[in-house]
Amino acid sequence: MFKPYESDHFFDEMLQQNGTTKLHYQAFHNMINQFSAEELREKHETAQLSFLRQGITFTVYNDNVGTERTMPFDFIPIIVPPDAWSNIEKGMKQRAEALNLFLEDVYKEQNILKDGVIPRELVEQNPNYYREQVGGVDIPLNNHIFLAGIDLIRDQQGTYRVLEDNLRNPSGMSYVYQNRYVMRQVYPEFFNRHSIHSLEHQLSNMHDAVLAHAPKNCGEERDPRAVLLTPGMYNSAYYDHVFLAQQMGIELVEGRDLKVRNGIVYMKTIRGLQQVDIIYRRIDDEYLDPQAFNPDSTLGVEGLLEAYRKGNVAILNGIGNGVADDKAMYAYVPEMIRYYLNEEPLIPNVDTYFMRNEEQRRWALERLDELVIKNVGASGGYDMLIGPHASEEEIAMFKEKILENPSQYIAQPTIQLSRAPAFQDGRFYPCHVDLRIFVMRGDETHVLPGGLSRVALKEGSLVVNSSQGGGGKDTWVLKGVENHAQQSS
Amino acid sequence: MLSRVADSLYWMSRNIERAENNARVLGVQLIQMLEASSEDSLAKYDWEAVIEICGSLYEFNQLYDHFSINNVIDYLAFSEDNGSSILSCIKFARENARVTRDIIPTDLFEVWNDLYLESSNIYIPAGSLREVHHFIKRVKIASLTSQGVIESSMSRGVPYRFIKIAKWLERAEKTTRILNVLSEKSSQDAERADGTNYYYWRSALQLLNGYDEYLKKYPPRMYEKDVLTFLVTDYAFPRSIQYCMDHVREAIIALEGGRVSHYSWRMYAALDRLMDDFDEMKLKSLDVHQISSYLDEFQDRCNDISEVFSQTYYLIEPSHVP
Repeated sequence: MFKPYESDHFFDEMLQQNGTTKLHYQAFHNMINQFSAEELREKHETAQLSFLRQGITFTVYNDNVGTERTMPFDFIPIIVPPDAWSNIEKGMKQRAEALNLFLEDVYKEQNILKDGVIPRELVEQNPNYYREQVGGVDIPLNNHIFLAGIDLIRDQQGTYRVLEDNLRNPSGMSYVYQNRYVMRQVYPEFFNRHSIHSLEHQLSNMHDAVLAHAPKNCGEERDPRAVLLTPGMYNSAYYDHVFLAQQMGIELVEGRDLKVRNGIVYMKTIRGLQQVDIIYRRIDDEYLDPQAFNPDSTLGVEGLLEAYRKGNVAILNGIGNGVADDKAMYAYVPEMIRYYLNEEPLIPNVDTYFMRNEEQRRWALERLDELVIKNVGASGGYDMLIGPHASEEEIAMFKEKILENPSQYIAQPTIQLSRAPAFQDGRFYPCHVDLRIFVMRGDETHVLPGGLSRVALKEGSLVVNSSQGGGGKDTWVLKGVENHAQQSS
Repeated sequence: MLSRVADSLYWMSRNIERAENNARVLGVQLIQMLEASSEDSLAKYDWEAVIEICGSLYEFNQLYDHFSINNVIDYLAFSEDNGSSILSCIKFARENARVTRDIIPTDLFEVWNDLYLESSNIYIPAGSLREVHHFIKRVKIASLTSQGVIESSMSRGVPYRFIKIAKWLERAEKTTRILNVLSEKSSQDAERADGTNYYYWRSALQLLNGYDEYLKKYPPRMYEKDVLTFLVTDYAFPRSIQYCMDHVREAIIALEGGRVSHYSWRMYAALDRLMDDFDEMKLKSLDVHQISSYLDEFQDRCNDISEVFSQTYYLIEPSHVP
């Protein structure tokens, strides 16, 4: 039933240049060929409906009216062979480690700035650098990054490259689980001939990682109490929060459920106040504590920062991580890896040019139609120019924006994002994909096998964000030895 | 458990129960309307009672410029302006289920989410009673299924007790309200003609799904006192006020591990006072004119209990407590 297509000049996850199926996709290819188009369409509908029924939705706001939507699901998985995965896993651990050392450094000694590896003003003028609030604070395990979501893409040659680091509140882990769950429910046949890494123990690893962050004043005599702090059901990632709290068996709280008294954080229960030791928060820094940050925030908890500074409560991810994951700092991560770890980056960056640098700016302004321009502070695919797809007006508009505010923008070559087949509306066609890898750090570091594959379902589109029409795919990491044994049988 | 979560469980449960009760009342009334079609004036009179039971006549008159069956159906079943319309109850219950879904069984969320998704896309052409009946039936089944999920899969811990207390309180209040509205109508009618009382008391039994059970226990005669005794103090009928309040009490005792603490004594005191006022003897000694005010007082007491309950478990922020 599956018809190969020309893979053109793009790298394709499943097909060779000549249209034949890659080795690690062959078993899967044979499997889908046993289904008729009608069967596949039916299964596709069942899968989509199952997300809605379970309330696995995100909220999209339009003129302040929120609509719940499901993330479109595509059943053709991204399959990662064992050796490729092992390299990604190592690369992600390495990157997260370096980023964490960087955060610890810039909030304490600032050696990397003193040594001139990273321009001082890039850190100190960064709006997400909260030295005043959290500079010099000792935190449990010296760990600022409890959960990182690192977005990978593959270029024309199939090389994995890091596109973006998310060290604040990366979301999407629940989708990894639900994509797998729906796949197993609706397409159980697909799993028969594959041996893939299960996701099962990862949430208990995550729970252990949370609890490893007991604050220094918590003491040995009682078990630390952890909670997940959500902005509430109107947040677009609310389902993610519910899922993680439920799976880890920790309380899901909102700002109004917490109260700080004498530097101790409590939650309001039906039996009165109970002390809270560890907060996995999914509220951004600016809204965390109206006393210390945005005074208008109604989501946060008054006095939280004070409790954090006193070592009475741990906050995950750390406060002030935004200084390390914006698009300007991104370009320096390979340098951080060399500086702190004395290693070469295992997974390279995408080349990045700074518009604040006059020479690089002049070079870029001459070829905006070939480049991708990004606002260093924006995310979710907003305020972004994709040169080859842009109209002359858009290019002119970005030219003005860059000249007006050069340090706000970076330029990158347009990467021919890899593609994978998708099945929507009854037909197969190639779509661009990326992969968000989740790294969990506590006493040990774990990388969730696979991660969230996002797919730009609009044909030809490069934007994979769910708020802009992107969908999800299951991601399979094949097991090493067992897989070879099976293929030979 | 967080007070906010307890509060949400409480309102989820009350709204599930309210959706079912209001759906039943509307359904019974739609059928009675057909049977009583020859007595048109009586029918309008009935509808006013139903509006009072499931909403407010005052609000209805504010929202609609004239009285018609379609307007009544719209008000009771679908209106977004009526916080107790069936659709509003479905929505509130679902919203509260959504913020407690880390606590409630997955099946419960899915049953109610299905109902919500189906009914938010529902289109019922004006006057299509068949469709309205279908909707009512769907709501009742979803409520019954939800209760089944709760009973068969929830541990008998704090969340379970909160859900149950809310359900029994909501039910007791609805029974009181139905009796209150109907006894008023009945006493107004008694001054005009004989025999109509029978009609009201039968209707009370039907609105409370107790007609069949009543007939099993009492001879097939509708005596006012018998019906009242059955719906107010019967210890075995699961919609009688007595039964509901017994179960509220039982759930609170279980929640508190059988102890009375400094923070819970007021709640016990309020419950005891209510039950004292409330035995069969006292009820039987009342004459017809006193029943209405007796029920009024009971309704107030029920509200008191909901409030004391909320305060005991910090469901209301202290600053909001009057």
